[in-house]
Amino acid sequence: MTDVRDILDIESPSTNELTKESIFAGDKRIKKKYDYKVPKRPEGMHREVFALLCKDNNDVPPLFPTDTGKGYKQMKANLGMKKVRSWKWTPFTNPARTDDAIFHHWRRVVDAGKEYPFAKFNKKIPIPAYTNTEYVQHLVTSGWTRAETDHLFDLCKRFDLRFIIVHDRWDHKKYPTRTVEDLKNRYYQVCTTLSKAKSQHEKTYIFDFEHERRRKEQLKKLFERTPEQIEEEQVLLCELRKIEQRKKERDRKTQDLQKLITAADNQVDPRKIDRKSSKKNNNSNRNKLNKADSSNAIKLQVVEPTGIKFPDFKNSGVSLRSQRIKLPSSLGQKKLKGIEQTLSDMKLDLNPPPNEIICQQFNELRSDIVLHYELKGALITCDYELQSLRHQYEALSPGKTLIIPPSLQPKSDQDIKTELIDVVGSPNVTNIVY
Amino acid sequence: MACTTEFGPDSGGRVKGITIIKPIVYGNVARYFGKKREEDGHTHQWTVYVKPYHNEDMSAYLKKVHFKLHESYNNPNRIITKPPYELTETGWGEFEIVIKIYFHDPNERPVTIYHILKLFQTSPELQVGKKSLVSEFYDEIIFQDPTALMQHLLNSAKPLTAGIWRHDTDFEVKKEQTLKAIKDARTKIRNEVAEYKEKLTLAKETINKFKDEISKISKSGGSLSVT
Repeated sequence: MTDVRDILDIESPSTNELTKESIFAGDKRIKKKYDYKVPKRPEGMHREVFALLCKDNNDVPPLFPTDTGKGYKQMKANLGMKKVRSWKWTPFTNPARTDDAIFHHWRRVVDAGKEYPFAKFNKKIPIPAYTNTEYVQHLVTSGWTRAETDHLFDLCKRFDLRFIIVHDRWDHKKYPTRTVEDLKNRYYQVCTTLSKAKSQHEKTYIFDFEHERRRKEQLKKLFERTPEQIEEEQVLLCELRKIEQRKKERDRKTQDLQKLITAADNQVDPRKIDRKSSKKNNNSNRNKLNKADSSNAIKLQVVEPTGIKFPDFKNSGVSLRSQRIKLPSSLGQKKLKGIEQTLSDMKLDLNPPPNEIICQQFNELRSDIVLHYELKGALITCDYELQSLRHQYEALSPGKTLIIPPSLQPKSDQDIKTELIDVVGSPNVTNIVY
Repeated sequence: MACTTEFGPDSGGRVKGITIIKPIVYGNVARYFGKKREEDGHTHQWTVYVKPYHNEDMSAYLKKVHFKLHESYNNPNRIITKPPYELTETGWGEFEIVIKIYFHDPNERPVTIYHILKLFQTSPELQVGKKSLVSEFYDEIIFQDPTALMQHLLNSAKPLTAGIWRHDTDFEVKKEQTLKAIKDARTKIRNEVAEYKEKLTLAKETINKFKDEISKISKSGGSLSVT
C-alpha cells in the first residue's frame, strides 16, 4: 500500500516515526484468530493420540525441531515503512573532563541538548577531609605523621581508593615503606574516627587488619607452592581418602561380625528353650524366639535375622507341601551351593519327603547351615586380620610377636604355628599341647 | 468388614481356619526291554502316576490330571479323568513331565508337579530288566481355607479298594529316617555354630587386643624417634 502511495506521491498522513518500541513490539502484534472447528474426538481413540492429530492451533506438530518460538530469543526487529529518525554530527563536552575539551559525535536530532549519556558513569568517591584541629584532636597516632597521612589521603583521592595503585605511587623517599594493609588500616581508622567525631552519619568502616594480613600470607603461600609440593598434597589427600575408606570397611566388618555373633546367640538360646518346652506346641516356641530376637534387637540397634527367610504360606488356596521347602531365589548362588554341599556332605536328601515336621526341621536346618557358612567366612576373615596384625606388630618391634590363641589357629597348619611359637619361646607353649 | 470378606467374589465362600491335607505319591516305574526295539528305537516301557498316599478314591475331589509329555510324543498333553491317574508309554529318553492336578471346584487353582521321568539306573540287575525301576516321591496337597464345596468333597472321599494299599517305597520308614537325620544334622550344625561363635568372639577380642598393642607400640615408637 505504502509503495503505491509513494509512486502516486500521495501523502500518507498517519505514518508516525519509528520508535524503539515500535521496532521491538513484535510480540504485541494482534494475532489473527483462526476460525476453525475443532473436530470431535472419535469414539475409542485415546486422548493422547487425538491430541497429536488435532491440537488447538490445528497444526501438525513439527517433525524437525524449530527455533522460531518466541521463548527467550531476541525478537526480530520490526521494520516497517515508517519515517527514520535522523542523526546529526554534534559537538559535546564530557563533564568528567576538567579541560572543557569539545569533541564531536553523531547524535539523534531528537536527543539534541541532552547531557552526554556516559557522564552518569563518572562517579566520584567521597573522601573525607579533616581540618587542622580535627587532626590534632582525634587523629594523632604513633607511627603516622600528619604529612604522611596527608600524603595518603591525597593519593586516595587521586586514585579513587585503589589501594594497590596508592601503594605503588607511595613516596618511598619521604616516608617509610608501608604495606597495602597498613595503608588501608590507616585510611579506615581515620575515616571511622572522623565520622564518629562528626557524628553526622554513624558510618563505621570495618577493616580487619590482622585477618587481611593472614589471608594474604596464606594466599602467598598457596601461590608459591612448588609443583612437587602440590603433587605431595595430592598424594596425601588420596591416602587420606583410602584410609577413611578402609576404616569404614573395617567398621562395617565389625558390625557384621557382631551381627553374626548375635544371630548365633539367638540360635543357641532358643535351643535351650526348645528342650525345656519341647512338649509344648510350636507356636509358643516361635513366640519365644521372636521375643528373644526383639530383646536382642533393642540392645544392638540393627540385628537383621541371618539365615534364610522362607516365604509365609498364609494365603488360602491349594498348594503343595514341597513348595514350602523351596529356597528363595534371593539367597544367591554361593550360599545355595554351600547348602547343597553341606547337605550332601552329611548324606542328607536334597528333597526329603515333605510332611509338616520335616519341612519345618529341614528349613531350620538350612537356615542354620547358612549361619554356619557365614560364621565360617567371618572366622577366616578374622584369622587373616589377626595374622596381618601380628605381622604389623612384628615389623614395629622386631624380636617380639603377638600370640594368637591356639584355638583360633586353623587346624591344617597348626604344626607350623606351633613351631613358630616355640622359636619365640612364649609362655603359652603349654597351651599348645592339646 | 468380616461380612464383606466372607461373601466377597474372590473368597469363593471359603471356610476360614480349616486346613485339609491330602498326602500323595507321584513318580514313575520303568522297565527295560532288554534291547533296543527295532521299529522306533524305544528301549523302555514306563508308567507315570499320581496316587493317593492313603487308600481313597481321589476322583471325589479331583477333576482331572494332566500329564504333559515331551513334545516329540504324539499328542503330548494326556488327560486322565478317572483313577488310576496313570499313563503308560514307551520311550528311550528321560525328560521332565509336568503333572497338573485340577479340582472339581474351579475356585481352587490347579497344582503343578514337575517330575523327571527316570529310566536308567546303574544297578546291574535293573539293567537286564529283571526288576523294574521305581522313582517315586511323597508330597502333600494342602487345602488352606478350602471352599465349602471343596471341603465337602474332600471329606467324602471313599476308599478305593477293599484290599491292602501299599506303595513300592515305605515312606513311613523314609520319613522317620529323614527326620532323624535332619535332627542329627541340626544338632551337629548348631554345635558347630556355637563353637564358631566362641571362636569368633575370641577372635574379636584378640583383634582388639592386638590393635591396642600396636597402637601402644607405635605411640611409644613415635615418641622415641622424636627424642
